[in-house]
Amino acid sequence: MRLLLTIILSAGCACGQSGIEVPAVGAIVDSTGALRQVQGVAGSFLLGPAAVTGVLAAACSERLCLAKTDSKTLSPTGETDAPAGPAIFALRGNDAIVFFPDTHTFARWHDDVLEPLNRVVEGDVLSIGLKEIAVRKNGEVSIVDPDGSVVDSIPDASGPLLLLQKGVVFATEDEIVLRQDGSEVRFELADVRSITAMGPHYAAIYTGDAVYALRTESGREGLYRLPGSAP
Amino acid sequence: MRTLLLALLLPLAMRAQIALFTVNNGVEAPIGAVLDLGKVAAGDTVSVRIRVRNIGTATASISFFFADGVGYTISRPPLPFAIAPGSPQDALLSFSQSTPALLYPANLRIDSDTNSISVIVIANVVVGPALTVFPACTGSNGPPASVDFGLVQVGQLRLCNFSLQNPGAQDMTISTFNVTGAAFQMSTGPSPPFTIPAGGAITFVVNFAPSTATTYTGALAIETRSYNLTGAAFNTPLPTPLLEFDPGSIQSAQQRRLTMRLPTAATYSASGSVSLAFVPDTAVVTDDPAIVFLATGTRSLPFAVTQGSTLISIGGQTSAMFQTGTTSGRIRFTLSGVSTAGDATTLLTIPASTISIDSAIATRRTGDLDIQVTGFDNTYSAGVMTFTFSDISGQAFPAGAIRADFTQNFRTFFTNAQAGSAFQVRVSFPVTGDTSGIGSVDVQLTNSAGGKTQHLIFQ
Repeated sequence: MRLLLTIILSAGCACGQSGIEVPAVGAIVDSTGALRQVQGVAGSFLLGPAAVTGVLAAACSERLCLAKTDSKTLSPTGETDAPAGPAIFALRGNDAIVFFPDTHTFARWHDDVLEPLNRVVEGDVLSIGLKEIAVRKNGEVSIVDPDGSVVDSIPDASGPLLLLQKGVVFATEDEIVLRQDGSEVRFELADVRSITAMGPHYAAIYTGDAVYALRTESGREGLYRLPGSAP
Repeated sequence: MRTLLLALLLPLAMRAQIALFTVNNGVEAPIGAVLDLGKVAAGDTVSVRIRVRNIGTATASISFFFADGVGYTISRPPLPFAIAPGSPQDALLSFSQSTPALLYPANLRIDSDTNSISVIVIANVVVGPALTVFPACTGSNGPPASVDFGLVQVGQLRLCNFSLQNPGAQDMTISTFNVTGAAFQMSTGPSPPFTIPAGGAITFVVNFAPSTATTYTGALAIETRSYNLTGAAFNTPLPTPLLEFDPGSIQSAQQRRLTMRLPTAATYSASGSVSLAFVPDTAVVTDDPAIVFLATGTRSLPFAVTQGSTLISIGGQTSAMFQTGTTSGRIRFTLSGVSTAGDATTLLTIPASTISIDSAIATRRTGDLDIQVTGFDNTYSAGVMTFTFSDISGQAFPAGAIRADFTQNFRTFFTNAQAGSAFQVRVSFPVTGDTSGIGSVDVQLTNSAGGKTQHLIFQ
């Protein structure tokens, strides 16, 4: 399990030895709960073989991929006992903040160790950054600091949401909205169920019958369907 | 008094231990002293199911069971045989004669160990009607006698003309005259009962109007004769489906939309499969696994069209998305499972192109300059790369362009990966001294379609 996660991470990582390899843009969780690498380039994707199974949630950045099974947090280097249920990740460098919705608790992940964080947030947590947290409360989506102070609001976000390093992706009833660096790009897409960090430049958009890859790089935004990826 | 009644009844019950019935469609009817088979056409065979039932309380042993008369045969178990109390034993009484005569009698007799039954069986052999069928239908005297209506297009009508003649010297009354079976119908002709005069004939027409593509059977009953009716139906080919793509030139690394429609409405509902296949221009790889329908990640999807519509659904949707992959060549779309008026095969040509750069980054480390390029080479001929470094003011270093040939590396990678031409290449340049003065690099990648240059700022 550790080896497979390592492969997924290294293929999507910009660092390392010189050479030529199949490009990887990140990873998704397929309909069977298997973590699968997404290979290729924009507009021409392939799904790699099932790596880890029993995955409830996953997120990848440039340097790190974390996955959550029912009772563990998995990384390329190991696994850690964790509260039951899914998880929401915020990845930066070799560190991560993890939110466990079932217990409504936060933890810091580093080197396969989870340290509980004393954060209390009211409302449904939609996504987390290293500091800020996106919550839905009374139907309104706000970006709050760990101390609960509201720093922003996203009134038109009616569906899932993912905080980016410099922006946000969220779903309305029939659109995906990518808002970053003062600009906004919209894509027609309905029935969005969840949004996760697929890789450093892509978000995974899960709908009722497909998984999409949203390219988030400024100026190269695009929404692509992943082949044979019914969730 | 009671004793007397019992004494009278007991012998009576013993004598009546077996009884005879005819059975028609499962219904028993007692046979009286005479069993009349009625008129039988000369040469025809008429059969009657006879049931011997043991209505007594003791087992009956049957020792004699014959129909004694010219033209009569009986099919029953070998003698002797036993019949349990309350149980039946069936036999088939058949009669056939080729010479017309008013009366053909027989004595049907059954003996058991307790009682015997005798029945007079009679039949009247008459000259039968002669049926003639005209083309395009064909007839066979069999057995069994049959008429074939041939192969007919669904929704079309085939008429079969018949003549029914009375070859005898007496008028002939036809009481049974009907057609059964789906798709078969009596079209024109007399209603029974009717009379055909001696030496005369009547004509009639039977329709065959199939509604679906399958085989059909039916029957034409004329008096004691029954003719099997057969026919088959086929669908006409669908109008040649049109396979169309969303607007824009076809290139590699695209997700495109396929729609299918008919030029005219379908005359019947049909379904099949649309498949794609890929033939690459290069010999380096034999396929490109990214060229698939996105809904399933496969190369085949079911399609369907409903009667009266021109719209063809693909995988239950109005269109199907597919990827064009990262290899130049030809994508061939073919249909199967339906008959079409013409070949609907459609070719999409993916043209060869210069190397496409998906992303690139240049990073500066102590002692190293790293360049990473992600892209694809749909010609599979990449290899020559040149790097022109500039200082932070944009002035190229006097050493000029550094040329490197990675042709063999790319060839080995493409051959081993068999995953299309997408690649991520990382090139490191060891640098002695301070790298902070190096501001940018122009990376040129070349393949058989030309060169592509990317300007990268070191980070």
